[in-house]
Amino acid sequence: MDDWLIALIKVVFIWVWVLLIAVIMTWVERRGASMIQDRLGPNRAGPFGLLQPLADGIKLFTKEDIVPDKAKKILFSLGPILFALPAFSAYAVVPFGDKIVLGGKEIILQVSDINVGFLYVVALGSMAVYGIIVGGWASNNKYSILGGLRSTAQLISYEVPLGLALLAITLIYGTFSLREIALAQQGTFLGVFPNWGIFKQPLGFILFIVTAYAEANRVPFDLPEAESEIVSGYHTEYGSMRLGLYLFGEYVNLCTLSALIVTFYFGAWHLPYINMAAFLGPISYGIASFLVFFLKVSFFLWLFVWVRWTVPRFRYDQVMGLGWKALIPLALINLFITALAIQLTI
Amino acid sequence: MDIYFWVFAVMAVGAGVFMISSKDPLPSALGLLTVFIALASLYLHLNAPLVAIFQVTIYAGAILVLVVFVIMLLMTPGERLGEVQRNVSYRIMGAILGLCATTLIGLGLKGVYDLVGERSLPEGFGSPNQFGELFFRNFLLHFEVASVLLLVALIGAIYIAKKKV
Repeated sequence: MDDWLIALIKVVFIWVWVLLIAVIMTWVERRGASMIQDRLGPNRAGPFGLLQPLADGIKLFTKEDIVPDKAKKILFSLGPILFALPAFSAYAVVPFGDKIVLGGKEIILQVSDINVGFLYVVALGSMAVYGIIVGGWASNNKYSILGGLRSTAQLISYEVPLGLALLAITLIYGTFSLREIALAQQGTFLGVFPNWGIFKQPLGFILFIVTAYAEANRVPFDLPEAESEIVSGYHTEYGSMRLGLYLFGEYVNLCTLSALIVTFYFGAWHLPYINMAAFLGPISYGIASFLVFFLKVSFFLWLFVWVRWTVPRFRYDQVMGLGWKALIPLALINLFITALAIQLTI
Repeated sequence: MDIYFWVFAVMAVGAGVFMISSKDPLPSALGLLTVFIALASLYLHLNAPLVAIFQVTIYAGAILVLVVFVIMLLMTPGERLGEVQRNVSYRIMGAILGLCATTLIGLGLKGVYDLVGERSLPEGFGSPNQFGELFFRNFLLHFEVASVLLLVALIGAIYIAKKKV
């Protein structure tokens, strides 16, 4: 019974936490955009405009919910849900801290440590596309279908280098479990470098972050919604809270991808050269590891915003060319070199 | 009675029936997606998490996305599908073939059950490590033969596609 309760608390806690981050991200995105474009952005609601997401939420909820006449009604309302669900489910295997001891009981800060965690993440990453396809198809609109079509092609192309980059990581750490990968990144190697994935897999990191941007449909890979070409892509016909769910799902997705980047390449909750567990009490260590993890995540969330307002969009054939002619060969070479290095050092 | 099994078995069969009876191609594809996910849940129940995850990653995540891509590219099947569906001899042939396949699979299942029976699982059953051991130690030849077969299919597909250009 106790274990059930702990698991439930963990699920609810991380869910609410990710929702909170997604809400704040809408504010960060708008303020970040205005910072980069040398203007002010929303700064009226509350201090620094922090209550702006709340105002936006109220607006979206109270707006009239319009379903186009020729749309396929059931699929139309299913689309946003299918999009948002996988993004949340991925958090089930992400370790968001080390462990915390409460009342003599050791609690791992991860919802579930399954031994196929890495594959679970890849599987869920490929599920999100159904939300976009269904939304695009059900809208019965040329631009929406074009957006959905682009999204499928892009996803199939970028899933491969993503998987290959992660495969090199599992070769190095010898496990599929995300917690074990995170634990293995403590300490240093060769005397100077922290034991982080980025120092062992620099090429793999670049591949992963590029494919992560493509998976999240972010600029420079936001072809499915490219507003200068196909109006708004798959969510052209959506309005009110259904559109809100799409936009919200995107931020949850960003949060998940940032957490994965940190887990695989940036030492999860470890600080470089400092072993927090050595001088912190059991409870404060748990909280500190959680905070360190989300400090790193917030940096990558900011990077997503930064890139969005800095880099222009690719052309469609450039996206496909980059995926098939550059990323996949590079990922294969990276995998080969990693395997060779491991073979030679064992 | 095993509630977990029945929930997902009914779900898989129901989604399968929906898939073949739906007139619209995209809901049909979503029905297939439901079948895949229900099957993956059954694999999980059978202590095979790796198979379950591969089912979702490869079938639901890659193959079905390709199928949907083709559906969206060609939009609607048009009259040809209706023609095939109205053809009575096709229907009868389909029913007979389906019945034969079901009987074969049923007999095969009974055979496996008679041979293996019920036994408790060994330690670490279904873990990725044990999978790797089986694949690359005991069944290496079979594994390689399967990959050569896939390579042949790939080359064949390129050859057929090339001729049309």
